[in-house]
Amino acid sequence: MQPTPDLPVVLALLALPFVAAALTPLVHRALGERTAYFAAAVALACFGLAASQYGTEGVVSVAWIPALDVSLSLYVDGLSLLVAFLASGVGVLVFTYSAGYMHGEPGLAKYYATLLAFMGSMLGVALAADLVALFVFWELTSIASFVLIGHYSSQDSALYAARKSMFVTVGGGLFMLVGFVLLANATGTFSIATMLDRPELVREALRSQGVLLPVVVLVGVGAAAKSAQVPLHIWLPDAMEAPTPVSAFLHSATMVKAGVYLVGRLRPVLVTDEWTLLFAALGLTTMTVAAVLAIAATDIKQLLAYSTASHLGLIVAGFGFASVLGAETGAFHILNHAMFKAPLFLVAGIVAHEAGTRTISELGGLRRDLPITAAVTVVAALGMAGVPPFNGFYSKEFLFETTYEFAAHAGGLAWVVPAVAVLGSVFTFLYSVRFLMLFFGEKPSGLGHVHRPPLTMLAPPVLLAAVAGTIGLNGLLASFHAGFAPITEFVARVVNSTTAAGHGGHEFSYYVPTYVSPALVMSAATIALGLAAYPAYGRIHDALHALFRTVPPIQADWWYDAAVGGLDGVSRGTARVVQTGQLRTYAAWTLTATAGLALAGYAAVGASLPPLSYSLSIPLLLVLVTAVVAAAAVTVAPSHTTGVLTLSILGFMLAIFYILASAPDLALTQLVVETLVLVIFLLVLDRLPSYYGETRRSRKVRDAGLSVLVGATVTVTVLLATAGGDPSASLNPVSGIDTSHLVELAVEEGGGTNVVNVILVDLRAFDTLGEIGVVAIAALSVVTLIAMRERGGEAE
Amino acid sequence: MSTIILRTVTRLAVPIVFVTSFALFLQGHNLPGGGFIAGVLTATGLALVYIAYGLDFLEETVFQRSIGGSVEHIQHGLVSDYRRLFAVGLAIATGSGLVFVALGMPFMSYGYTYASFPLYDHMELASAVVFDFGVYCVVVGSLLTILSVVGEE
Repeated sequence: MQPTPDLPVVLALLALPFVAAALTPLVHRALGERTAYFAAAVALACFGLAASQYGTEGVVSVAWIPALDVSLSLYVDGLSLLVAFLASGVGVLVFTYSAGYMHGEPGLAKYYATLLAFMGSMLGVALAADLVALFVFWELTSIASFVLIGHYSSQDSALYAARKSMFVTVGGGLFMLVGFVLLANATGTFSIATMLDRPELVREALRSQGVLLPVVVLVGVGAAAKSAQVPLHIWLPDAMEAPTPVSAFLHSATMVKAGVYLVGRLRPVLVTDEWTLLFAALGLTTMTVAAVLAIAATDIKQLLAYSTASHLGLIVAGFGFASVLGAETGAFHILNHAMFKAPLFLVAGIVAHEAGTRTISELGGLRRDLPITAAVTVVAALGMAGVPPFNGFYSKEFLFETTYEFAAHAGGLAWVVPAVAVLGSVFTFLYSVRFLMLFFGEKPSGLGHVHRPPLTMLAPPVLLAAVAGTIGLNGLLASFHAGFAPITEFVARVVNSTTAAGHGGHEFSYYVPTYVSPALVMSAATIALGLAAYPAYGRIHDALHALFRTVPPIQADWWYDAAVGGLDGVSRGTARVVQTGQLRTYAAWTLTATAGLALAGYAAVGASLPPLSYSLSIPLLLVLVTAVVAAAAVTVAPSHTTGVLTLSILGFMLAIFYILASAPDLALTQLVVETLVLVIFLLVLDRLPSYYGETRRSRKVRDAGLSVLVGATVTVTVLLATAGGDPSASLNPVSGIDTSHLVELAVEEGGGTNVVNVILVDLRAFDTLGEIGVVAIAALSVVTLIAMRERGGEAE
Repeated sequence: MSTIILRTVTRLAVPIVFVTSFALFLQGHNLPGGGFIAGVLTATGLALVYIAYGLDFLEETVFQRSIGGSVEHIQHGLVSDYRRLFAVGLAIATGSGLVFVALGMPFMSYGYTYASFPLYDHMELASAVVFDFGVYCVVVGSLLTILSVVGEE
């Protein structure tokens, strides 16, 4: 049995970044640019806290709202610790790097506060033990990313990129939320830990309710949006508008890992044939397509962005396969990818910072000016290419082995799978070598002297590359049975938490193969094909560009822009029709919508009209006829004054109707309100513009139709509301309120015989309080609107 | 539209309107009436004064205060009194409910009692009257605020 995590430590781990983020503005005032070291210290503390929990596993929870059985629970195991290590460990280095990179930039307080909050959210995603908490932290990372991508908020491209990433990732998150709700609905719990305990029961429940495929697809959409899987990868290259440390942190090492984390987290619960079909296909497609796009990239950060999407595809594909090998592929590549991609981004930052350009064709031969950076790049880029004995090689070997076994097992068409894996890897090899060649070959004449980066910018990538190198070296040593255990032990823990076998002690090992295996042959083929194709790199690059130019719709970006542009057009059109600035248009739309919704509501609940059986006395009939005549007269009134006066005839007739219908309170109210309205009308009448005689026939027809519709709605509503006139039926059919006791209550409890008034001020006084609140707010708005208008007028 | 007839009628009618509205307010518990109706009636009476004599009349002649400019009329003078009136009204209405909370009963409870007074024997005292007075203040304050602000425009 594993030791359980320590609750105070885990809580502190989660809370620390958020507290630090809240304090950042104050710290920035005191420390200025050295806030970076404060943030790095916080990240280091988080790393220490996470490290202290290494080896533990299980749920810890603290009661939050005990009465509602709501608690804050956190889950710790290998996978969540891996992500926590990445978030805090890479965090330390990125904050340190920022001290050099962001030197002299404005908006640093916001930058560090957001990065810290992001780190906390990422730790939250990793540690959340239930789906709702996971979702909340998940969306928090999207929001932090939005702020950081839009860091240079004066640039339109940054704003476009920020909007795009927000749109895609938050939109995907909503799909995921629906998936979560379906999942929780089928299993009766939101707790991930409970699901992980009984995965077969969860699958059974989902299957029996027929929601397994929807859940897998919906969760898949969320993960794909976050982890930039095709075709939702489009936001990641644009996200490179963010400062480079952010790209290294969010868009390679951590946030984009949230998607693959989710896939790995739910893998033991949901892994089925549908799962394999969806995620293996998605991952392999992304791996290949994004690698091809990376070759087409002209900017080093863009190349790395597509490469990130490609490698995330590899991880997703690994997790997609049901075998333990698949889990090993995914788990190990999460670690490897972070260890080679983060330093590469930091290198790209150094190059851009010191050479002043990020265009690939303008760079070359940098190794003489930046020797240490070149060494880092060699380790990291060869790891990315999957060349033995660098770290990326091993996880790619696992993928090859997985796909080979899958194909050997399934046979037939399944052989496409290993072929695609090799194809994707060839492209990966090509762009990795291209990135490496920035440091070799001839230096272009346009490039001046390149300065050495400051130590704070150099140390983090060196450290990361050292870890990557160690992982690679360990594999080489393992071939001679001399590897060190901690790395394999750690990865074994991660693998265990992503396998359906669950918490059993699965052995994990990796080494440079000393015999010929299918996977080794595939690796050799990849490298051979890559080396053969490399001389044609320029031509492939140009051909891809020509293709994109001639057939724009093959790019997902084109679809995004077309969709967003189309939506823009629709909303502009809607605004033109609905918001004309004329009161009558607003009234027309509001009334149509209200009447339509009300009638649709009645139709939806299947309300039927009660039989009409009314007998009217002569005086009542006379009053009503007068009212109808007055109403008709309003429509033909030649001027505003006549219109208002005839309208008030209608109002006063209604008051008389109330008197005849034995409702003196209503009649009184109607009388005084009618009088007041008449007075107000007469006050403002002079100012009203005259529309009489100008209306078009079409508008008259529309208004007539509308008034008939509104009249019909009101009539139907009244008929339905009074349908319960039967004294034995005390429930009001519309409001659902039991009205039978109100009369007795009024006299006994309220002590008043005017039932209407007692209801208003005693029995339902809370309602009345709300109503007079509304009246007061209306008065306040009038004052505010008019005061603001005059203030605006003065300002102009 | 301010004619001699209107002014004369207004002078006679407005006091009657006020008395009526006061009566309506008091009898609301047992007979037709109540805070809302009384409030609207009071506001109507004052509106009549506005039409007959103009907005400045009340301010200058009745309350003997000087008038500010067009923005100031929102900030000072009668309009700010109206605004204060509906704020006070809301406070009274809410407070009448909160008193019960202080006494350990639910918010917006109600109760009544009968008391004897020297001249007015056996008078009913209902807690709801306080709430109703709040309603009255809010209605009068709000309507007159709207009326005078819009009227000034």
